[in-house]
Amino acid sequence: MIDEGRPLFLQIAEAIEDSIVDGTLAEDAQAPSTNELAAFYRINPATAAKGVAMLTDKGVLVKRRGIGMFVAVGARDILLRERRTAFADRFIDPLLAEARTLGLGEDDLAALLRERAALAPTTARTEGNRA
Amino acid sequence: MTAVIEVSNLAKRYREKLALDNVSLSIQPDTIYGLLGRNGAGKTTLMSILTAQNFATSGDVRVFGENPYENAHVLSRVCFVRESQKYPDDAAPIHALRAARLFFPNWDQQLADRLADEFQLPMKRRIKKLSRGQLSAVGVIIGLASRAEVTFFDEPYLGLDAVARQIFYDRLLEDYVEHPRTIILSSHLIDEVANLIERVIVIDDGRILLDEDTDAVRGRASTVVGDAAAVDAWTAGREILHREALGRVASATVLGRLTPEDRAGIVDAGLDLAPVSLQQLIVRLTQRSGDDAPAASPLAESHGEPLSLTKEVR
Amino acid sequence: MSRILNVVRLQLVNKQTWVWIPLIVLGSALALSIVIYAMIPSDGPKYGGAGQAPLWYFFALGLQALTLTFPFSQALSVTRREFFLGTLLTAIGGALLLTAMFLLGGWIEDVTHGWGVNGYVFRLPWVWESGPLAAALTYFTLALFLFLVGFTGATIFKRAGALAIAVVGVGVGAVLVGVVFVITRFELWGQVGAGLAGLGALGLALWGLVAIAVLAGISYLVLRRAIP
Repeated sequence: MIDEGRPLFLQIAEAIEDSIVDGTLAEDAQAPSTNELAAFYRINPATAAKGVAMLTDKGVLVKRRGIGMFVAVGARDILLRERRTAFADRFIDPLLAEARTLGLGEDDLAALLRERAALAPTTARTEGNRA
Repeated sequence: MTAVIEVSNLAKRYREKLALDNVSLSIQPDTIYGLLGRNGAGKTTLMSILTAQNFATSGDVRVFGENPYENAHVLSRVCFVRESQKYPDDAAPIHALRAARLFFPNWDQQLADRLADEFQLPMKRRIKKLSRGQLSAVGVIIGLASRAEVTFFDEPYLGLDAVARQIFYDRLLEDYVEHPRTIILSSHLIDEVANLIERVIVIDDGRILLDEDTDAVRGRASTVVGDAAAVDAWTAGREILHREALGRVASATVLGRLTPEDRAGIVDAGLDLAPVSLQQLIVRLTQRSGDDAPAASPLAESHGEPLSLTKEVR
Repeated sequence: MSRILNVVRLQLVNKQTWVWIPLIVLGSALALSIVIYAMIPSDGPKYGGAGQAPLWYFFALGLQALTLTFPFSQALSVTRREFFLGTLLTAIGGALLLTAMFLLGGWIEDVTHGWGVNGYVFRLPWVWESGPLAAALTYFTLALFLFLVGFTGATIFKRAGALAIAVVGVGVGAVLVGVVFVITRFELWGQVGAGLAGLGALGLALWGLVAIAVLAGISYLVLRRAIP
């Protein structure tokens, strides 16, 4: 589950983000504590803390003094927006570039999209589907 | 934060060999360190000197700000479990643990009992008659239950099977979370401990090769695999840690973070990208440092600083 | 101080070494002697050296007190000074106990006229001539001295290796041979004999204490640089 090449704290942060986006971790709910994360992933608590700190900086998690870390209200929106932008950067831009070289215009692309969408089975969002 | 251990220009010379060469480092409190390196690199020697069990030839060692030699005030807060620890002949684990309880002020008997149970340690059997794994378990239990402010583990899990090792890592992390302290774990099973350690110190042939945060080191190298000519073309001008080839296929490990352009270039060249684990990175680094004569290596230490892994100019 | 006492407890983890074996050595030597005395037809008092046996064992004890326990004491973060003092204390305790048994044995022999067979292992006239206290001191000093010989030897071996202890052993032997040679050459045995007799067991014991102090000093200094 843990990928070798990328900083651990990033992966921990992403795992939390994933659970917020797919709804398993609700807004305003209490987020797992640093120690819980450390125990669950079997990692150093300092690493878990870094991941949590990053999410706090982003505004995804918020600290309530004396109680703990909570998912910020509006966190899901922040993340969806962020991921949609990343999605566009990663998939749409290359798609457009390739389409241009093949001589496909925007309308052609839209038609192709609709055609393929009709064929493809609707799959539920699968967790861990990070290519 | 004031360092818990300060080492300056430490050297240890045996008749024919320089076991430690100009070692300087600074250990911060409440952190888990990994002291990594090959067998014979100097890990045990270093830890012995830090705990006054062995003596430096030159250089300075301060633990809690003082010289640890014959210093009960310092040593009672330190625990060093050796890889091949000798125990009194007649002793059984129960005696060894009882003895440890006498000397470590923070000793937790409940933890010790629980660990003995989990490791399935026969408490009344003579230590001489224990298996290698059970012997290691005794050392591990002493190390963990001592709750010493600075605890060294010198590959104490040799002989422990994978299940027992996982128990050790889990209990270590658990107890560290409840009772933060400074832990220095030496190992050559790097990938197993990679997620536990906050900071990596790599020692090779008595010299410190690396002394950095684990996360900073992760992802600092990549392996490209594919057609040999394409690999060589892409890796030209880069820091190559290791290259091997089989027929027309080559695999090269390069140092340096990859930019998006780099990644695109790799895909365009029809090459595959594989991540490099901490263990692989350290293995390659130590292999390379063994291959080159120190003066010839472009990354040789300058002014006694540890090797920098970054391509960027500091 | 409590850490030093804890070293005593650490040493005593080896119950066999410190308690059972010395008792067995003493007991069996005594039993054998009595049996042999019973078999000897002579009526006069018979004296034997079985009382020495546990003393020589103290030499072995000195060796083991270092080799068995020093490495483990280092793992428990005990300083060399604490280990030395604690071990010495244990040896003194052991020697005191042995001496007490020696005194007891002597008293029993006195009362039973040599275990009923007129055989004496403890109450040797030469040792007891200055009284029981002097006898006790002699026995105690011998035990502690032998312990320290073993301990010092083991410490030198630990610090400097087999060659070093061999050299030291040969050196000490050479010195002794040299002394004997000189005494023989100059026919001084008569004077030596008279001197020793004049000294008596008590005097010898007091010199023994000097030797003990010297050995203790040497072993401590060597131990300070020993590596477990």
